[in-house]
Amino acid sequence: MTPENGNTTPGKLRVLNVNFAGCEGCNVSVLRAYPKISDVVDLDIAYLGERRHESYDVAIITGGVCMNDPKSVEELKEIRKISDIVVAFGSCATFGGILRFCRGGQEPRPDQRNFQPANSVIRVDYSIPGCPPTPQMLVSFFKFLREGNERRLKLFKVVAGVKKLSGFDLIDDVVLTGLCIGCGACELSCPTGAIRLIEKRPDLIQEKCIRCGTCYVRCPRASSIICMKGGD
Amino acid sequence: MMNVQENPLGPVMGIYLCRAADEDIKRMKVASGGAVTALLLYMLEKDLVDGIVTAKRTKGLEGQAVVARTREELLRTAGNKWSIVPFAARIKEKIEEEDLKRVGIVCLPCQAQFFSQMRDFPLLETDFGERIKYIVSLFCMGTFAFEAFLNYLRIRYDVPPSAIEDIRLERDSLTVKHEGGELRLPIKEVYSYLQAGCLVCTDYTGVWSDISAGSLNEERGWTVMITRNPKAENLLRGAKEEGYLEIRDGSHVMGSVMKGAKDKLARAQRNMMTLL
Repeated sequence: MTPENGNTTPGKLRVLNVNFAGCEGCNVSVLRAYPKISDVVDLDIAYLGERRHESYDVAIITGGVCMNDPKSVEELKEIRKISDIVVAFGSCATFGGILRFCRGGQEPRPDQRNFQPANSVIRVDYSIPGCPPTPQMLVSFFKFLREGNERRLKLFKVVAGVKKLSGFDLIDDVVLTGLCIGCGACELSCPTGAIRLIEKRPDLIQEKCIRCGTCYVRCPRASSIICMKGGD
Repeated sequence: MMNVQENPLGPVMGIYLCRAADEDIKRMKVASGGAVTALLLYMLEKDLVDGIVTAKRTKGLEGQAVVARTREELLRTAGNKWSIVPFAARIKEKIEEEDLKRVGIVCLPCQAQFFSQMRDFPLLETDFGERIKYIVSLFCMGTFAFEAFLNYLRIRYDVPPSAIEDIRLERDSLTVKHEGGELRLPIKEVYSYLQAGCLVCTDYTGVWSDISAGSLNEERGWTVMITRNPKAENLLRGAKEEGYLEIRDGSHVMGSVMKGAKDKLARAQRNMMTLL
């Protein structure tokens, strides 16, 4: 079954959520979305019981992958094999997010020191950042996926090939290059208030940036340039 | 739906030439037929939205986001061009302060993209996309780095910022209306005062909007309106039936709009090679 073919899809999409390392905010968001998409999606998620299928149409990865834990790495590779489409959902799974600050040596697992986004281990088809992305985001995603609306999903497809995006990249790519037009989308998009507009340009409070990448994908300039570069 | 890369106009359902039927709007000297103002008025008066977020010029070229909830408030903002871009955060504040559940937003293509992406893809719990009912984008060839531009007008033409009444950007020229008269500058002359970010922008009409609106030299007194989805189409039809808008077919201006879009795309591609 190919969901890209849109409206012809018979029945529901078989969807699997697997949560790796993180705060569980993202998989809770997936669970919260479920009542709104249950007419088109059949979801397997740890909260609702065991996996019921051998293969899936869509796998939603939440959380970052601990590179010091071979079991996690292998599990992620296995998910790629059994899924047609892999979606990284939330900033830890897409760009590393706050897990990028981990350095190990802490109880109870001092050995776990390095966490990476899903696309450092496997090929990811769509990356949806956010800390966490809202349930409605997932509802929209499945709507456009089923419609085969590639224009709307392009941004998420393009950033699936990017391993790291953050406020730092926004400053480097848009502000320092003089391309910022001062619209303020970044300031509005930052979940930690790390971005403030000063003299009509964003300024990053570095300690507050959790590397979630939301500002970057929300910037009209950054997102259209990244789409053009990564475009076909 | 056509790909943006293939079609610089984005998705198009219909293209029309519109103008206000309302006498009040006609009397005001709005740029091109007053159709945007009339359409917004229709949304407000027929209770399709709780408020309209738009811009009002404060001083010089500076604008401020304002909310219009009544006919009077809306007409006070009419004719003001968005020469610079007010902060998105201020728009959010406005919407929340006034507790608007359904808003119509008039904005530029870059902002239309941001608001539309927020509406379709809420990445944050604090997003207010579900409150945005209609996004109207104005055609845009770029906005000014206004401090630099105002300084240029003062030094070169002796026009102080306080004397400027209106600035209109068209495809090949810029008209500055000021207390002492009118100044018509070829776009080449002021080109370097456009914001650098606008020079790499590929979007002329606002492909992410519900409705795009703008004026063309060959159809003075009329506003070109492009509908991008059935919701926009219904809105225009309603505005016509209720007597707010005069509408006629605009297929014959498609080529001109396309030319504007292609010009901007070509400019962006040229500039990306040097700026990026």
